[in-house]
Amino acid sequence: MVNAFSLIVRARHGDPTSTWSITTLIASLLLIGPFVALFVTATGDSGGLWAHLMKTVFPRYVGNTLALMAGVAVISLFFGVTTAWILARFRFSGDRIFEWMLLLPATVPAYIIAYTYTDLLEYAGPVQGMLREIFGWQSARDYWFPEIRSLGGAMLVMASVLYPYIYLLARTAFRLTPASYFEVAQLHNRNFTLTADIALARPAIVAGLALVLMEVISDFGTVDYFAVETLTLGIFNVWLGMNNLTAAAQIAGIAFIFIIGLLYIERTARSRQRFMDTTQRGKEISPKRVSRGWGAVCVLTCLTPILLGFGIPVSVLLNFILQGLAISDSDALTSSAINSVLVSMAAAICVVTLASVMVLTVSYRKHPFLNVLAAVSATGYAFPGVVLAIGVVSFSGALDGFIATVGEDVLGIPSNGVLIGSVALLILAYVTRFQAIGYGALSSGVQRIPPNIMNAGFVLGRGFSGTMISLAPRLLRSSMMAAGLLVFVDVMKELPMTLLLRPFNFDTLSTYVYQFAKDELLEEAALAALAIVVAGLGPVILMNASQKKRGRTGATG
Amino acid sequence: MRSKTILAALAGALLLQSGAAFITSARAAELNVYSHRQPFLINPFLKAFEKKTGTRVNVVFASKGLVQRLLAEGRRSPADVVLTVDIGRLYAYADKNLFAKIASPKLAKNIPTHLRDENNRWFGLSKRARIVAISRDRVRPSEVHRIEDLADPKWKGRVCSRPGSHVYNRALLASMIAANGEEAAEKWARKLVANMARRPQGNDRAQIKAIFEGVCDVAIINSYYYGKLKTSKVPVQRKWAKAIQIIFTNQNDRGNHVNISGGGVAVHSKNKAEAVKLLEFLTEQTAQTLYGKINYEFPVNPNVEAGAEVKSWGTFKEDRLPISRIAILIPDAQRVIDRVGW
Repeated sequence: MVNAFSLIVRARHGDPTSTWSITTLIASLLLIGPFVALFVTATGDSGGLWAHLMKTVFPRYVGNTLALMAGVAVISLFFGVTTAWILARFRFSGDRIFEWMLLLPATVPAYIIAYTYTDLLEYAGPVQGMLREIFGWQSARDYWFPEIRSLGGAMLVMASVLYPYIYLLARTAFRLTPASYFEVAQLHNRNFTLTADIALARPAIVAGLALVLMEVISDFGTVDYFAVETLTLGIFNVWLGMNNLTAAAQIAGIAFIFIIGLLYIERTARSRQRFMDTTQRGKEISPKRVSRGWGAVCVLTCLTPILLGFGIPVSVLLNFILQGLAISDSDALTSSAINSVLVSMAAAICVVTLASVMVLTVSYRKHPFLNVLAAVSATGYAFPGVVLAIGVVSFSGALDGFIATVGEDVLGIPSNGVLIGSVALLILAYVTRFQAIGYGALSSGVQRIPPNIMNAGFVLGRGFSGTMISLAPRLLRSSMMAAGLLVFVDVMKELPMTLLLRPFNFDTLSTYVYQFAKDELLEEAALAALAIVVAGLGPVILMNASQKKRGRTGATG
Repeated sequence: MRSKTILAALAGALLLQSGAAFITSARAAELNVYSHRQPFLINPFLKAFEKKTGTRVNVVFASKGLVQRLLAEGRRSPADVVLTVDIGRLYAYADKNLFAKIASPKLAKNIPTHLRDENNRWFGLSKRARIVAISRDRVRPSEVHRIEDLADPKWKGRVCSRPGSHVYNRALLASMIAANGEEAAEKWARKLVANMARRPQGNDRAQIKAIFEGVCDVAIINSYYYGKLKTSKVPVQRKWAKAIQIIFTNQNDRGNHVNISGGGVAVHSKNKAEAVKLLEFLTEQTAQTLYGKINYEFPVNPNVEAGAEVKSWGTFKEDRLPISRIAILIPDAQRVIDRVGW
């Protein structure tokens, strides 16, 4: 508090750099508000439920959650890092296409991929049907087939749509690894191997992995559909089954602390490592053309995740549509699509702007209090969507109450509450949740900017704001684009917060799909589900184009 | 610079919203509904109400957390009516004092006493029975009479169900705790889990499909899923329905467990008279028939006949345990479910 106070005092004295600190402070507090509301909920009396939970389901929740996180981490790291590295270091036929196609799975919501895989791989699905045809099996009791609705199935489908976070951030990092490192390695007659390459890209890979893991821990749709009892599923059983929001918030708090712990360990582990090129700019490693045999291996490596995360689920959706099972209510679809695109764009712009301001402030103003505050404000991703939505709604209810009291008592204007049920609140909720993406991408981007560039700006007398505004957008362009577009596709897919916080008569594509998917009637909503994917295509192609341009024109591009 | 623009934009959006809120409050003849039921299920009812009364109905649909939204909005809440399925959810609203007490002779007349709150805060609007589905080929109807029968070791490896923690299973188990006591209910649940053909998963639709596939022979389902699949526009789903036969359980003792969809009037509604009218409308002939037509549910109003499809399943004796009793026992049911790992 003392620190916060001193910041405000400095702003009064007209210190221009403090505008940044103040903005960061206010934004952080606004984003942390919902967490605080949740922790207040968690401090209530849980009615002795914990003894029961510890004795029965809690160990299972924790075990399943850890197993799911580990499994998704391994698979998504494999998909994301290998493909990013191959594309950054080698030339082979089709590489240009794979570059953007590898991002496509990011447009597929996890609950849709879970549904489509079940349709495909369960007993009545075409895969097992074909096997029975070939081998002459009569019933489910004649043979063994892996159960898709299982922990393993959840690992596979979640990793298939989540790896693009790692891929995108890792690819940017690989591309930006300065050629001088290779030159040094060659001078010392050392082979610059994948291991060293990965070590240099580690901050970016870890930033991507952190996003993946937060998504895993907060997922409800997939684990519910596959009946995998994770902490998140437990939160809902306790909250709705036992009518005990307090204990539910306590479980959410544990999951949250767990994520914070992970992030902290990672931060301290790499606190002494900073990788940047201090030689002349723009010199990057040019990819090597590979032989035909290796080319085939590269193609296969890239094709697998694209098929798993995009090709297969989209074909199932297309099949529903071709069979004429989809409802085509064009009015509802159009208005939902417009709403989806508008809120996604607004959220993306807000996240990128706020994250840029906050990351630059904490990176160059080095204020320990703000540093922690800003980092914590970027962890909303670790809460399950509905739980965070409850935090947001409680927090804004308090704000609304405050506004109304001020309005009525001071100004004499009766108020109906301005925040809850407004589009503005929905955007605030999205920012709370997806700030992690912006913050992660920009933090890893900032670490690659050599300090002397910024110092040069200061020395030239531009001052803090001048330096930041003129240099940062150019130096961080690719990180900003990546963050903005990831947020865009994520908001397109977002469901639980939109459901709970939206205004009356307001549908997005996700909420439209959900009313059918809830009853396992995805075939009827196939068209809207496909629209979510299609709406994500534009941003994905744009994202790739911006990264490529950056690759050509060098790091300052 | 940028952040200022954004802040300005946000402030602008807020102003617009508050303006909109003001306009909404100024206009009469509108009703705001918070619904746990999907729009495609509830819209036909609301359209019929709009047509009859000229009142425009606005809806927010969400499956979870609307209780917390209402709580946070407090006295400023725009909500007039809450519509939901499952007694547990209705009870959660009443528990937090979010429903107003309603004195309506019409509701009292149209809804049997065991399907509404004794303090007149919430009202059942339609019924669904939790029944047993059996394979037409592999099980004779005479083999299952009571829901308790599913604990018999003869069903080992032959039973399917969705996870115990689903609201419908919780309510079923709560009704068994009420009938037989917690200890007996837990014993039953433990044996049921031991009889499972596969890990509990999917919704009730998936259980019917599993019987069709030969994965299991008996399953616990809600009655309307049978109607939905039987009349589905997807040909293969009609085949699933053909593979099963439905059994109303406990016909010679307490009757088959039923759950309700229902609603109440928001305690801070500024339009209570109109809100009550909507609830009343939902218990009258037109709407009660719609429940059967759209979702294959049973009417609560004893003077309204079920739809043709629903009627074809035959009449059955229902468990007339006051449904509020089930709501009270639901947390106990969840504990049992946790203990037996259903």
